[in-house]
Amino acid sequence: MHLDPFELHRPTTVEEAVGLAHDLAGRTDFVAGGTDLLPNYKMHLNVRPHLIALEDIPELRGRSLARIGAMERLADIESDAALARVYPGLADAVGEVATPLVRSSGTVGGNLLVETRCFFFNQSLFWRSSLGYCLKADGDKCHVVPQKERCYATFSGDVAPVLLVLDAEVEVAGPSGRRRIPLAALYDATGDGIRRLTLAPGELLVAVHLPEGARGRRARYKKLRVRPSYDFPELGVAVAGRWDAGRVASMHLAVGGVETYPRRFDELTAPLEGCALSDTAVRGLAEAVMRKLRPVHNTFLLPDYRRRMVEVYVRRAIAEAREGAAE
Amino acid sequence: MASAPPPPYRLLGGRIPYVDGPLKVTGRAEYTDDIQRPGMLVGRVLRSPWPHARLRSIDVREARAVPGVHAVLTGERYPTPFGVLPITHDETAIAVDKARYIGDIIAAVAARDERTAEEALARVRCEIDSLPEHADPRMGVSGVSEPIQKRSLPGTNIQKEVVQHFGDVDEAFRAARYTARVRGTFAGVTHAFTEPLVTIAEATPDGRLTVWSATQVPHYLHRALSEVLGIPLHRIRVIKPEVGGGFGGKSDPLPHEIACAALAIETGRPVKILFDREDVFYTNHGRHPTQNDVRVAADAEGNLLAYDIEALIDGGAWSSFGTVTTYYNGVLAMGPYRIPNFRYRGRRVYTNKPPSGAMRAHGGTNIRHSVEVALDELAEAMGRDPFDLRAQNALAPGSTTVNEFRITSTSFLDCLNAVRSASGWREKFRALPYGRGVGLGCGFYISGSNSPIHFTPKMPQSTVHLKVDMDGGIAVHSMQADIGQGSNTLLAAIVAEVLGVDLERVHVQRVDSDVSPVDLGSYSSRVTFMMGNAARAAAEELKGKLLAAAAAIRERPVSDISVGHERFEVAGAPDLAVPFLDALHKAMETTGALTASGSYQTQPRGGSFKGAKAGTAPAYSFAAYVAEVEVDVETGVYRVETIWAGFDCGRPLNRLAVEGQIEGSIHMGLGQVMGESMSYRGTRLLNPSLLEYKIPMPQQMPRIEIHLVGADDPDGPFGAKEAGEGPLIATLPAVGNALYDAIGVRFTELPITPDRVLRGIDRRRSEGRAWKGQ
Amino acid sequence: MPSRDALSFRLNGHPVELACEPARVLLDLLREDLRLTGTKRGCDLGTCGCCAVLVDGRPTLSCLTLARLVEGRAVDTIEGITPAQGLSPVQRAFVEHGATQCGFCTPGFIVTATALLRANPSPSRAEIERAISGNLCRCTGYAKIIEAIRAAAGAD
Ligand SMILES: Cc1cc2nc3c(=O)[nH]c(=O)nc-3n(C[C@H](O)[C@H](O)[C@H](O)COP(=O)(O)OP(=O)(O)OC[C@H]3O[C@@H](n4cnc5c(N)ncnc54)[C@H](O)[C@@H]3O)c2cc1C
Ligand code: SF4
Ligand code: FES
Ligand code: FES
Repeated sequence: MHLDPFELHRPTTVEEAVGLAHDLAGRTDFVAGGTDLLPNYKMHLNVRPHLIALEDIPELRGRSLARIGAMERLADIESDAALARVYPGLADAVGEVATPLVRSSGTVGGNLLVETRCFFFNQSLFWRSSLGYCLKADGDKCHVVPQKERCYATFSGDVAPVLLVLDAEVEVAGPSGRRRIPLAALYDATGDGIRRLTLAPGELLVAVHLPEGARGRRARYKKLRVRPSYDFPELGVAVAGRWDAGRVASMHLAVGGVETYPRRFDELTAPLEGCALSDTAVRGLAEAVMRKLRPVHNTFLLPDYRRRMVEVYVRRAIAEAREGAAE
Repeated sequence: MASAPPPPYRLLGGRIPYVDGPLKVTGRAEYTDDIQRPGMLVGRVLRSPWPHARLRSIDVREARAVPGVHAVLTGERYPTPFGVLPITHDETAIAVDKARYIGDIIAAVAARDERTAEEALARVRCEIDSLPEHADPRMGVSGVSEPIQKRSLPGTNIQKEVVQHFGDVDEAFRAARYTARVRGTFAGVTHAFTEPLVTIAEATPDGRLTVWSATQVPHYLHRALSEVLGIPLHRIRVIKPEVGGGFGGKSDPLPHEIACAALAIETGRPVKILFDREDVFYTNHGRHPTQNDVRVAADAEGNLLAYDIEALIDGGAWSSFGTVTTYYNGVLAMGPYRIPNFRYRGRRVYTNKPPSGAMRAHGGTNIRHSVEVALDELAEAMGRDPFDLRAQNALAPGSTTVNEFRITSTSFLDCLNAVRSASGWREKFRALPYGRGVGLGCGFYISGSNSPIHFTPKMPQSTVHLKVDMDGGIAVHSMQADIGQGSNTLLAAIVAEVLGVDLERVHVQRVDSDVSPVDLGSYSSRVTFMMGNAARAAAEELKGKLLAAAAAIRERPVSDISVGHERFEVAGAPDLAVPFLDALHKAMETTGALTASGSYQTQPRGGSFKGAKAGTAPAYSFAAYVAEVEVDVETGVYRVETIWAGFDCGRPLNRLAVEGQIEGSIHMGLGQVMGESMSYRGTRLLNPSLLEYKIPMPQQMPRIEIHLVGADDPDGPFGAKEAGEGPLIATLPAVGNALYDAIGVRFTELPITPDRVLRGIDRRRSEGRAWKGQ
Repeated sequence: MPSRDALSFRLNGHPVELACEPARVLLDLLREDLRLTGTKRGCDLGTCGCCAVLVDGRPTLSCLTLARLVEGRAVDTIEGITPAQGLSPVQRAFVEHGATQCGFCTPGFIVTATALLRANPSPSRAEIERAISGNLCRCTGYAKIIEAIRAAAGAD
């Protein structure tokens, strides 16, 4: 397979990278580990004539309990004992991404921004040409829900749900400077599989920041997929909770792998604060989450099944988070 | 069943590391794509985006004009149809009048590099008429106005129909006390070898054509090239470098191999066609999507009376091995049990999908799942233990089936006994907690096919040549194809065994049609049996010469001389032993380098009815597997924890390789059970990638405990039978029946994905039928 | 026109310098330009592991690595992992345990296993399974590969 020709830029500072992206407006992509971008490029999906490699920018590196640089490799995060101790859910999720060989290059920034996926999108040029292209690349219709002018491609990153329940923030650099926003605000809940981010064109993810408060939360991540390796999540549930004398002190829940963005369910979890979480309450929560999600048929497993698993996985994630908290 | 203790061999029967291991672990083994020829061009193919279309015109002028393009070919240049079976030639190198599936090759280009080639292909202009597409084989059995192929039965897309009846099945069912019925549905699966398909061709000014290709059957490729290109066999040279797995998927001569040669002729330059993974999926030739309907009958004592089987087989666009497939889906049900009455109707129907063909345990896999599940049901209805039912009906050694298969050796009962005790069956069956279960599945497979595919001119199925020069190294030539199964190792070991020499003296030469004697290659589990016998015969001939030479040196009668280790022993005179090289040099005095040749030809077998040859083999393998599974009843996700594999391959000649074949087969069988599926939306393949085609991961593999219990087969080389394909078969029903034991749900549709498991559990619960107290 | 600037890095212990256009992955550079064909191409999309090499000691998919980004780094391929004479302990174990069948996946497994044992000299069975779960083998069912890695680690 071949890549279409492009120019490769190698800035050494965030400002330089952002400046390049600004100058090349709309004709460029950032490349971090490349494990998501390059397969898409080889399939000639939305290729651009300029790539800006983030490899040489020292500011995008570095790991501590408070900050993880966007260019930190998943494999390094996975094997970081200190991070794993404090954020077990993060270690769960990172270790479930793709395969060890992919994690060796793949970065946390790339994972948060991983392209949304769909059976009708992640295909070669030939395949797509034979069906007729779709909204998300080169075409004007959707093959999943043809009656709508909307893209249902699924957000399939494993790390975002956990970082969401840890209240992580992301540092974003753009032509007009830096901003720090809650991770949830990175994703466009009003958009679709195409307009999925709130980043302005050319904006760069610099780092993930973990608030002090995240350290006591025992998060867990449960991933549904066909095989224990390779497969993208068909559903990913992250839960973080704190218990106080058997009562919920705080609880956060996020789901990925189902909709076009990873979604937090504060409206369902907030009312549980102060409650002793009975099995019935857990079941109620799990069912409520399930009712809010509508998977479509654009991945390997059937949508009904994925939806049904939401309930099971939410229950299990809560049980595990609770156990973790009791340790 | 006590068999005589097998005679000991020096090498055979042990664990013999693969002779090519050191090259493979260092990356030095040379595969086709590793070969570079001077001035080599890149060949690419254009694929049909239409499932079924008449090609009105293909305009390649613009494509030819792209700078760097050397040739663009379309179908009419070499329109001669070919196919692996001489009776069903319906493939062409490049589509001629019609495109028959999404992915069918409609043009080929040779250019200086891949980008240029792709650019040229993008400029090919086609005018077509869309034709009705046929996705469902059920719709192809009647009322078809625009058949996919000319040669189907009139008014249908039926490529092949087989009807067989032995005994009186209706009467047997009337007389039966117990019956069971299973309607099976099987998704297509594919080989997914790791080395993509790849071919290099080079036409040279001396009028010869050389083709390097990732093929399992260099000889069939050789013949197809000759037929389609119109070049005599002796002016074509086919070389098989290392091959990165085949499993049947590299056994047909494939269109791109011929297209590549055509491009090489056209351009006068070497051309390489290396397929992308997606191309490999379109080429397919994998296991057929199949629906079958299996009825079994037994009398009050549990004697099996009859099978009544129907199969509807989705062939895809071409015939490939399909005629054989159609027979096999019936007749390979004829073991390992005595079946006095048998009726079969099988139909293979063309559809507008990538062609299906032969895949590991070809034709014997899907039918076996349905039969073994039916037997499990039958045993349950009788209140019998599944082991007892099977043991009671086992075919005896030396017996003949109603369709006249000759069963020489069978250690099927030993397979059953071994795994029954090893698995702790008595304590576990129906006794494990809900969600956990054990299941038994059995297998039966041909050890080579009695009738070679090409039987004109009449010649042996296998031939092996040996050459020894003064260095004492033994060069072995054969056109058998090592595709990873270790046949080169076995070939070397057999020669070394017979001659008493160290393995390192023996060098198996690369397959090269210029020097290798014809052999029908690696398919239908024929290699160990046929090549093994041929190699043994060749080595025996050489041994005769060396014994005579040793006798001459010591001036003793030949009858006093025997083979020792790297020397020839003289009866009663240990210190007179003749070193190997001394005997060799003596033998060479009059002839120069010693040569020898051995061959193997099957004896005619089978009855005289139509199709009687299908499934006849010089020997058969037998299997009994127990699987133990654990089901997560909330998610439907299950894990196969252990498989106890009882297998009869006669004498295992290289235990390392036999174990490797069994482990690999179980992995592949498990894939078909757990998630592998060629998923279609209509005629469109949805998952042509290794990401969405779900081959099991290491963490999904069960613990495998292998019991090799075979007795020597009278006709097998050193008593051996096949172990390359048969070991796959029993995996499917063993897991299926274990799932039943775990949750009380019968799975007749493969793959058994978690959502299907869950639906099965729901159904049982909603019917209010408890299982194991749940 | 894509620029074809010189690329320099250490390959199997020796410096190399060659022209390389930006839109080129390391696998193509190794196999086609440098004729190091021990590294295999099974899918080109990160889904088989046949193309694994070490980049600064990390096992890396060369089909998803832009060649220009190994500038200044150390790349070790199966050819570099192989001792000048004989076999490495991992390689020897693969041979002895019959962990190669068709051998097409083997270089990738050797690379992965070598990196694993450098980082973790005595991995558990579960750690081995996990470590090799980005390398696909269609022939062996992984059994003998796992056995070989355990043996190389001195586990038996
Ligand atoms: C076989 C296979 C299986 C996979 N399975 C999974 C899986 O199970 N779960 C999963 O989550 N992922 C999976 N992936 C996808 C991918 O490998 C991971 O998500 C990985 O973390 C992506 O990181 P990267 O650095 O390689 O991203 P890249 O490919 O470099 O980038 C991904 C996207 O993010 C943008 N980007 C990257 N970094 C920045 C930044 N700092 N600022 C702005 N934009 C940026 C890029 O422009 C690009 O659009 C799989 C990939 C493969 C090949
Ligand atoms: S959901 Fe529809 S528009 Fe979006 S990628 Fe899939 S087919 Fe295209
Ligand atoms: S070729 Fe790189 S992973 Fe398959
Ligand atoms: S040995 Fe063939 S793929 Fe692994």
